[in-house]
Amino acid sequence: MPQPTSQDEKKFEIWGVVALILGVVVFSGLLTKAPGFWRAFDFTNLVGDFGKIVKDAAPGFRGSGGTAARDGFVFALTLIPGVMLALGLVNVIDYLGGLKVAEKLITPILRPILGIPGSAGLTLIAALQSSDAAAAMTRQLRDDGFINQKELNVFASWQFPGGPPISNYYTIAVALFPYLTVPIILPLIVMVIGKFAVANVMRFAFNRNTK
Amino acid sequence: MAQEQQPRTVIDAFVIGARRGLNVALNNIAPNVVMAFVIIQFLQLTGLLGLIGKVFGPVMRIFGLPGEAVTVLVSGWLSLGGGVGAAASLYSNGTLDARHVTILLPGLMLIGAQLQYMGRILITAGMESRQILPTMLVSLIVGLVAMFLFQFIV
Repeated sequence: MPQPTSQDEKKFEIWGVVALILGVVVFSGLLTKAPGFWRAFDFTNLVGDFGKIVKDAAPGFRGSGGTAARDGFVFALTLIPGVMLALGLVNVIDYLGGLKVAEKLITPILRPILGIPGSAGLTLIAALQSSDAAAAMTRQLRDDGFINQKELNVFASWQFPGGPPISNYYTIAVALFPYLTVPIILPLIVMVIGKFAVANVMRFAFNRNTK
Repeated sequence: MAQEQQPRTVIDAFVIGARRGLNVALNNIAPNVVMAFVIIQFLQLTGLLGLIGKVFGPVMRIFGLPGEAVTVLVSGWLSLGGGVGAAASLYSNGTLDARHVTILLPGLMLIGAQLQYMGRILITAGMESRQILPTMLVSLIVGLVAMFLFQFIV
């Protein structure tokens, strides 16, 4: 796909919308047990299963009854495919313009939900994926005069709890997905709601007098 | 977001992302998971895990969890990978069941790696220092509330 020029910006945006919607569906876990065709659009199904080394054994090469550093290491190795798939998909969504679309959707609601200006939209999207990039961008926003110190305090307190939700959830928490008794999107939704809760407590309880 | 290499095709984009995933898994996740598994083993061999379970049993019952689950939150507070590793390890040895792990996850995600993120997010972004401790405490409380509420959903 070529970089967008003014003519095919519309076309590019359509791809972005498609990528964003597909991304949300794939990462939601809602289609894990969907019938037929639709099962393909699901993170758990795309990451698949390890083969069984011995007939009737549990899938995978971790074995059973292992302990401590050795078991931990082999367990960590079993996580690698999921992490690679997750970051690969996120990069594809980004490449197709899905994150730009998400930014457009989020920008107008930043003022009511966080009390920060729409110009912070790009940074908020970055903060879904990389805490380090977002922290640097946040400081830059203040240095360039887009946000004031109070807005920075509130925005940083949104970024803080648990760090970047998408990358941390799909690279680290992915280890616990096989055990979850709810669709995988649900704990992530709770996490994101929690981030807004933290930021708004900070906004109204601790930042009233900050200029 | 900030990408070292610029992908030119969709395939390219996937491969670059997957490569980043490989690096994260090997360099960040694996060491933290190994640490957590070793800590759990140490606690188990010394008998401290049982003691922790007894001492924290009443508190953790508020969240519908056994007392040992507190080790997941403490290791998670130090590093997210550690917390996830501790949960996986306690699941393997039968201390936690699937429902416990599900309740723990949102809490873990909200209180995870606070010390690290204090430096990497709050200080780097330029938050006023008098706001830092309140932010950490509020996050902790929100994480506990999230777990408390989540037990009624799972």
